Amino acid sequence: MILGFDTSGPWLSAALADRAGRLQAHRTEGMARGQAEALFPFLETLMAGEGVGWKDLTALAVGTGPGNFTGLRIAVAAARGLALSLGVPAVGVSGFEALAAPLPLDDRPRRAGDEPASPAALVVSLPAPRGQAYVQATRGGAPEGEPLLIDPADPPEALGRPPGVRVLGHRAAEIARPFRADHETYDPSHMGARTALVAHRRLAAGEVPGRPRPLYVRPPDAAPGAGRPPRIVP
Amino acid sequence: MDRHSGRCYRRRVDFRNAPLTVLGIEASCDDTAAALVRHVPGAAPVILSNVVAGQDALHEGFGGVVPEIAARAHAEALDLTVEKALEGRGLRVVDAVAVTAGPGLIGGVVAGVMLAKGIAAGAGLPLVGVNHLAGHALTPRLTDGLSFPYLMLLVSGGHCQFLLVRGEGDHRRLGGTIDDAPGEAFDKTARLLGLPMPGGPAVEREAARGTPRIALPRPLLGREGCDLSFSGLKTAVLRARGDLAPDGALREGDRADLCASFQAAVTEVLAEKSRRALRAAGPVTAFAVAGGVAANGAIRAALEGVAAEAGTPFAAPPPPLCTDNGAMIAWAGIEALRQGRRDDLTLAARPRWPLDEAAAPMLGSGKRGAKA
Repeated sequence: MILGFDTSGPWLSAALADRAGRLQAHRTEGMARGQAEALFPFLETLMAGEGVGWKDLTALAVGTGPGNFTGLRIAVAAARGLALSLGVPAVGVSGFEALAAPLPLDDRPRRAGDEPASPAALVVSLPAPRGQAYVQATRGGAPEGEPLLIDPADPPEALGRPPGVRVLGHRAAEIARPFRADHETYDPSHMGARTALVAHRRLAAGEVPGRPRPLYVRPPDAAPGAGRPPRIVP
Repeated sequence: MDRHSGRCYRRRVDFRNAPLTVLGIEASCDDTAAALVRHVPGAAPVILSNVVAGQDALHEGFGGVVPEIAARAHAEALDLTVEKALEGRGLRVVDAVAVTAGPGLIGGVVAGVMLAKGIAAGAGLPLVGVNHLAGHALTPRLTDGLSFPYLMLLVSGGHCQFLLVRGEGDHRRLGGTIDDAPGEAFDKTARLLGLPMPGGPAVEREAARGTPRIALPRPLLGREGCDLSFSGLKTAVLRARGDLAPDGALREGDRADLCASFQAAVTEVLAEKSRRALRAAGPVTAFAVAGGVAANGAIRAALEGVAAEAGTPFAAPPPPLCTDNGAMIAWAGIEALRQGRRDDLTLAARPRWPLDEAAAPMLGSGKRGAKA
């Protein structure tokens, strides 16, 4: 059983996926403050509902952002602590990967081969402070190049270059406008579920994950120390 | 036993009297630290391991610890540091997890608390949140087996206060700094004089080669009580530097003399205020010091002298246990568990958490309450 969770935005979102990659349960709650206090009881409630205990977990999946810096560290540190104590891998899944992956998330019964096709070129956008957006170009669900911090009203031209590109996520309509691209907003209520399912796919494909790391994109705010030291002479 | 609950324990342990091995985790400033401490009632506690990963190089050039840089480094290093402290023993030897829950830089405190919750939940171990200052304040019981009550001078880069330590969780603040901590003043002085970080050891090395011939103020020495102030001293160092180096070129010898003069001023103020604190404390078993600044040889010697004058035993933990470390958190956790205290998985990180909650706030006494 894989437990996935995400606190990269003002929410708690978590899900359980079984060995076959089927979603067992998922739950999301809006939460602007208090994620650190609420996360573990939230996870325990989700697990208890499915009769799952900590020792039943075979892997953890954690949303690495980008997003709220403290929120990213809350989830990543919790995942690392659980991985250490349970002796299971923790897989970091970026918000871009989570949203770009074509996943069967609605409740309608599916047949084999019924999964939505992976769009060739997709730009995924997530909210950033001060009216900006974190964006990542993807192809077939996989990231291409580095994530960027952009002004959604003035996206870099290169983003719109791939033929047939679509934009998905935060302020997608604005980002898509100069490229006349198709666009779609996103629903954060599936972040935990998407994180768990993407991690399942990667593990099933044989990936041996490294330790999850927050994807900050934005460098830390830090100004060099003021004032010049004196010249030291003998 | 309900296996779905993080509040169930693998073993039922009577924490008041049982032998205990506790994992301590600390990430409230710029050191990521973890340690294992074992205590068998009736015997001296044993530090089984004590691992500290510092961040000095990361903050070099920024003029102090940058909170977001510190938080990022903690998030990267915490689990690795715990693994090192376990030394391949596995969590089977651990009876409980103790973690600094404040006060401090919130990013690191949150990362430490969440890591500790993950470990406690996954291993089915009890969790206890520790006040960072209590960790320092209780260290002399770990290292020297002191009995309550004792007087503690906690003197570091972030803190400076006199505490009458009467029991676990029972501290009375007799006085403290009204502005900067002395460690901060050492760092600022080092920067003003072009010395490397961390400033404390750099200034101490220079001071050892100099003569305290430059007149610097002794802040609040004339004021009654045990309160201290260090921000003016930094300004005085800047002014003295201007006098010594009007053209921006400071002679090495003058720099050493200025360091010696600065260190003498800090030492004299700390010594005199310690004398007063000892008088105000009443009968105590010892005068103990902790915190990074207590690792300064000249200051330590002066404080030892004050204790000797008063006929009070002096206790100063070895320098690695004076600065931030995981062993003090593990030990404070043991003391808390012995009193029957523990936390559940909703444990909150507190950027502000005064040790003496009854005392009037001295620092950061805004809407959100006292910092320390």
